[in-house]
Amino acid sequence: MKKKLWSMSFNSATLVLIPAAIGINYLGKLFAGLLKLPLWLDSIGTCIAAVLAGPIVGAICGAANNIIYGLTMDPISTIYALTNIGIGIAVGILAHKGFMKNIKGAILTGLVVGVVAVIISTPLNIIFWGGTTGNIWGDALYAWCASQGMPVWISSGLDELVVDVPDKLAVVLIVFAIMKGLPKNLVSLFHSDEEIENLDHTDELK
Amino acid sequence: MKTISLYVDKGTMLNKIAPESKIWYVIAAITIPALMGTRWAGIVLIAVSAALLLYGKVLKRTLPLLAVSGFVLLTVLIIQGMFWWGNETPLFALGPAVFYREGVNYALGILINIINILMSFCVLILTTKPSDMMENFVRRGFSPRFGYVFISVFQIIPQMTETMSTITDAQRSRGMETEGSLAVRIKAFIPLIAPVIMSSLINTKERALALEVRGFNSRKKKTFLNDEVKTAGDRYIQIALPVLIIAAAVWRVTQWLA
Repeated sequence: MKKKLWSMSFNSATLVLIPAAIGINYLGKLFAGLLKLPLWLDSIGTCIAAVLAGPIVGAICGAANNIIYGLTMDPISTIYALTNIGIGIAVGILAHKGFMKNIKGAILTGLVVGVVAVIISTPLNIIFWGGTTGNIWGDALYAWCASQGMPVWISSGLDELVVDVPDKLAVVLIVFAIMKGLPKNLVSLFHSDEEIENLDHTDELK
Repeated sequence: MKTISLYVDKGTMLNKIAPESKIWYVIAAITIPALMGTRWAGIVLIAVSAALLLYGKVLKRTLPLLAVSGFVLLTVLIIQGMFWWGNETPLFALGPAVFYREGVNYALGILINIINILMSFCVLILTTKPSDMMENFVRRGFSPRFGYVFISVFQIIPQMTETMSTITDAQRSRGMETEGSLAVRIKAFIPLIAPVIMSSLINTKERALALEVRGFNSRKKKTFLNDEVKTAGDRYIQIALPVLIIAAAVWRVTQWLA
């Protein structure tokens, strides 16, 4: 039985998955910072939630994640909730289509998600930051493009692309590795609308 | 208990007024300069936010928040100052790097906008307890189940950070290197994060059971732990701020027509 893609019914397990996913996002970011990795790795939880419970839950995780960051540490990140919603939806749909079952599909998913993130983030970067991202490599590329006279949306898009695509690729591959190791009974917990086959026929007799 | 929230109770008026009033302030502080399209509006609102924060005794606590974006703002100033498209008139030079008037001017616009957004958010987040804010939203009709989701994040993150330090210690004691070349550090990421993720996902199962046992899915009307605090000022604030936003929009339209 395949679960419905756009289901809006959430069981308790799905609801408690959301704070856990946000916590995972936070830890990913923390570890990446501690290990001084050149990536953000702050959307692992959103992607896990999207794979486990579908695009709607993924999108809710993404939005809630950035709103909570916004209310605690970094107000500007609130607006990037839009990017994380996009990431959640993209991963949810692709996982539902079976892309996360093998490594090739996972790589493809990572690339698609990276591009989705770039498409949503670039206009936000231009509106709020004039197009730069704060990442040294990306901004160096932006400065080079600007000095070559390229339009702002190309410079800014490339700036975001060189940071976001490797980041999302790494995130999706980590998620893929983790999903492989998750116990099956845990995975089934989040499929709230799967039909339960009943071996007991008392209902029909009524 | 450790918390990730930056809220502190200083017992001032800012702590007492309703979260909605402060949210209206954030909306007004962001939309009014955007609607009016002048920098002065942004500068005035930064001053207003600073005054409010000073009054709320939390001005010092805004510094770490500003520092988060401060570095990025510095790069904006450097990059736009040197490479912005409209750059023509040199302003000053630091060695081989020439800064232009137009680019610096453009960067200043970004600076004012971002600092204004940050400061107005600070007025809200440094003086409001997240759980109070959520409780108020639920009173206004927000789903209590999602209210729980939001509030529990504030409890889960400190818990997970603790698990994380336990796991880091455990992996180090097994001889895992967490410092060194990039390859070493990348390799360290998976054995550090995977156990935390696994354990937190497995915990969700127990948490869900615990919630259901306590009637989480019950359709009965929920009651609130705290009484709603209302101050006389709230009503005026919640009328005055939307009026100001509309006034800013009207002013802009008349500017267009003139």
